[in-house]
Amino acid sequence: MKGTIKDLLKVSGVHGYIIAREKNIQIKLPSRHKFSGAKNNIKSLYDSLVPVKDRPGNVVEIFLEDMVLTIFISGMTMLMVMSSLRVNLALLRMTGKLVLANLVKEKR
Amino acid sequence: MNQDISGGLENTRCPEIMKILSLGKRSGKLLLNNGAVTGNIFFRDGQIIHAQCGPLNGTKAIYELAVWTSGEYRFFVDETPDIVTIDISMDDILNEAANRMRQMDRVTSLIPSSSIVYSLDPDIKQKEIQLKSIQWKVLANVNGKRSIADIAQHIGLGVSDAMKVFYTLMKQELLRDAELEETEAAHTAIDLPETSFIRSLREDLTRAIGPIAPFIIVETAQDMDLDLLSDDVGQRAALIETISSKIPDEEMSLKFLDTMTDWLNAEGQ
Repeated sequence: MKGTIKDLLKVSGVHGYIIAREKNIQIKLPSRHKFSGAKNNIKSLYDSLVPVKDRPGNVVEIFLEDMVLTIFISGMTMLMVMSSLRVNLALLRMTGKLVLANLVKEKR
Repeated sequence: MNQDISGGLENTRCPEIMKILSLGKRSGKLLLNNGAVTGNIFFRDGQIIHAQCGPLNGTKAIYELAVWTSGEYRFFVDETPDIVTIDISMDDILNEAANRMRQMDRVTSLIPSSSIVYSLDPDIKQKEIQLKSIQWKVLANVNGKRSIADIAQHIGLGVSDAMKVFYTLMKQELLRDAELEETEAAHTAIDLPETSFIRSLREDLTRAIGPIAPFIIVETAQDMDLDLLSDDVGQRAALIETISSKIPDEEMSLKFLDTMTDWLNAEGQ
């Protein structure tokens, strides 16, 4: 496995993702998705969660009525994945950790 | 009793305290306690005149106390003994104590504690072995149950001297750590199911953390109340994820996650 965003999107039930790094927020979600325009909310979430210790393994899961938000944090990078409630969460967390580790490695 | 100076040996070791008391030309008793054993060093006008530690007296007791790295000390003013067993200068005592501390640093790099239990190593690599009588005396008491401190007490030897003898015997590969041996035996006795998932999990985890892998798999599955024979991808993924968090090396942990995620994805297709 390469641990790329493509691998993450292959996980059944994943809607899309958001990558936040310092001032930049990159949202990759279907246009009708309820979080596709939530840049300000994501920014304030990022500000309250980041930074944390530099180890991928810091995972926050938020269960909403119709979806799960899985947030991975390493250093100043936050990866947020939106998925359906039926997603295999453990598989999503495994893949997310790998993707985030690669994102952080690329940044270095 | 008039108590004067006190503190912990972790921060100030015995030779430093002796030096301070000597410079101050103090008279009294320095009491040292490391939990299991108590020792006393008596001063008269800054000179050491007597010492006692367990069965040891005189300079042997001082050098035993000098290498303690944990415990407490207290100085009681004007408490002097009736006997004098030491008649050498403070400089000589401190020089020898420094030597002993250096030796003990080397010993503790191989034998970190006197509470370790050793057993005889049946796989002797040398054709001929020569032992001094004290080494034989110690060896004859090694039985996989008694710790170094127990053996030292049994044969009336100072703990630090006993540790030095154990160091030599370890260097000659005559002993092995009994607890480690038990743990290794327990690990090899673990029976894991022979499924392709468990085989892959065990192989990858062994690469990451070594022979303890089967034990970690069984323990994690028990903690999570998971069935190792289950085909459920969710359960398998949860097990992999939890196990990966137990791998201390981050790179190894990610490599393990990577390989096992591949395995899960391939299985799901």
